[in-house]
Amino acid sequence: MTGIAARRHAVLGAGTAGLFLVVPLFGFDEYWIYILTIGFYYAILASSWSLLVGYVGRISFAHVAMSGIGAYTSVLVNGMLGWPLILSIPLAGVVTGLVGLVIGRLCLQLHGAYLGLTTIAFSEIVRITITAEHEFTRGSLGISTTGLFETIDRVPYYYSFLALLLACLLLMWLVLRSRIGLFFAAIREDEDAAASLGVKIVRWKIFAFTFSSILAGLAGGFYAHFVQLVAPSMMSIQEMGFVLSMAVVGGFQNIFTAALGGIFLEGLLEALRGIGEWRLALFAVVVILILRYAPNGLFGAILQWLVPPKGKR
Amino acid sequence: MDPLALVEQVINGLIISIFYALAALGLSIIFGVLKIVNFAHGELYMLGGFVYFVVTSVLGLPPVVALILAFAALFLIGMTIERLLIDPVYQGKVERVDEYAIMITFGLAILLQNLMLSIFGPWTKRPEAIFHGRVEIGQLIIGGDRLAAAGIGLVVIGFVLYLLRYTWAGKAMRAVSQDRETASVVGVNAKLTGTLAFGLGSALAGTAGALIGPVFLVYPTMGVIPAIKAYVIVVLGGLGSIPGAIVGALILGQVENLLTVLIPDTTRALAYKDAYGLLLLILVLVLRPQGLFGEKVRRS
Repeated sequence: MTGIAARRHAVLGAGTAGLFLVVPLFGFDEYWIYILTIGFYYAILASSWSLLVGYVGRISFAHVAMSGIGAYTSVLVNGMLGWPLILSIPLAGVVTGLVGLVIGRLCLQLHGAYLGLTTIAFSEIVRITITAEHEFTRGSLGISTTGLFETIDRVPYYYSFLALLLACLLLMWLVLRSRIGLFFAAIREDEDAAASLGVKIVRWKIFAFTFSSILAGLAGGFYAHFVQLVAPSMMSIQEMGFVLSMAVVGGFQNIFTAALGGIFLEGLLEALRGIGEWRLALFAVVVILILRYAPNGLFGAILQWLVPPKGKR
Repeated sequence: MDPLALVEQVINGLIISIFYALAALGLSIIFGVLKIVNFAHGELYMLGGFVYFVVTSVLGLPPVVALILAFAALFLIGMTIERLLIDPVYQGKVERVDEYAIMITFGLAILLQNLMLSIFGPWTKRPEAIFHGRVEIGQLIIGGDRLAAAGIGLVVIGFVLYLLRYTWAGKAMRAVSQDRETASVVGVNAKLTGTLAFGLGSALAGTAGALIGPVFLVYPTMGVIPAIKAYVIVVLGGLGSIPGAIVGALILGQVENLLTVLIPDTTRALAYKDAYGLLLLILVLVLRPQGLFGEKVRRS
């Protein structure tokens, strides 16, 4: 990438982050601050999912299950063992990291549709188990839990989630710009060739799965203490469909555009509440059209227009 | 355990297996020819249920007409979907083929579900049954509606097997399943065969939905669980294998019904009913990805 393009990207990124930093200062409705905060949660899920799909070429339908495992871990450990949130939320990341490690190890040889089916099955088993074991989880009723803050003010939550999102994006960006990012690309393009050139494909495939699971688990842990309720519905296939749509609409080839897709779609979902389920049908049409005709997504296309890639100037 | 109850469970398992086999057969044909897993299969099944509902309950036509229309409508819908969304894969118009095929059919599933939710609402509907009354064999009593539906399902399965074995189109589908390029070399129109295969697969899903609609009710999310069962079955039998789909359906029907009866704590057994198959799916994929009847590939 040329120096000019890199600088433009940096300016765009900083500008967007700055915009979200000042949003609460302009007296927006509490309600929209709340919606944007949820949008940040989805942005973390969409971007960490696109890390796996867009960069390593591994599809997973277990991402919202990871977030759910994180949420339940933190809520149960906090509620039943009395651990403070400062310990229970990081534990959520540790637990989902371990789950991701095991799933990543088991699915090492699986690809494409086979991987999709395995992760869907895993996700549904988690959801069914949590619903069935109602002595611990209160089944589909869900568990209410404590909030991150004493106050009912939305603004602290807004900034916490924005900080978490920026931290996750920074971490992913650092990993992706290092040699690991190149290993990912090599695995995505041709696993056998990558292996023959000395890329430890086993290690990096498992690492990618674990890493993205940790981020999803942390997001889930924070989210549980933001909405102060966890229920099995947060890991439904429908919810996975949301995350997938957000990443695709934003652009799943790039973690930043996928994150913007999460915020954008969550906002749109609320803005179009008046048309009921039609909005979801509409989103699905948009997802199909984007996949077919603009695989870089909405924000990917805007980015390409603002900063033309090398050779197309 | 009471032998009569056991026989009843086995027969129920067999009846369920026939519906499972119909849906799984469609999935397997599509995978065989096009090498993609149709993640919208449950929604095509659901559309079949709705066609049946509209034709019998809204238009007031007899169930037989509704079944034929469900088959025909889903055949057309399936062919249209294939031409618009799947065929571009084979014309080299799509990058990242694997992810594209999964995500586009998943998106289609979201679309169809919410479309029907918007039009018909989330409420369950009970369309006119194919056959009223019940059948008594000694002390054994089986609902006539599900027995008739299973009987018709069996005939449809037989018809499809005949089609695949003896007709030109069926031979073309099997040829393209084995090797797309060689099939093209010897004069098979692979593009048309792909479209027909997706149409036939969709029509089978739709027929299964139409047959089961009067028994298990019709609603926008009715296809989610049966689709997952169909995935379990085709993975168990080997993706793309026709006998595998049928044997897999027989196994799953029995496993589910017997496990639910054999586990003493009934509420828990029922709550986990849908999980057994999923566990089976993960085990098969991790230990033997080619399934019982599939051909071994080096990397799946």
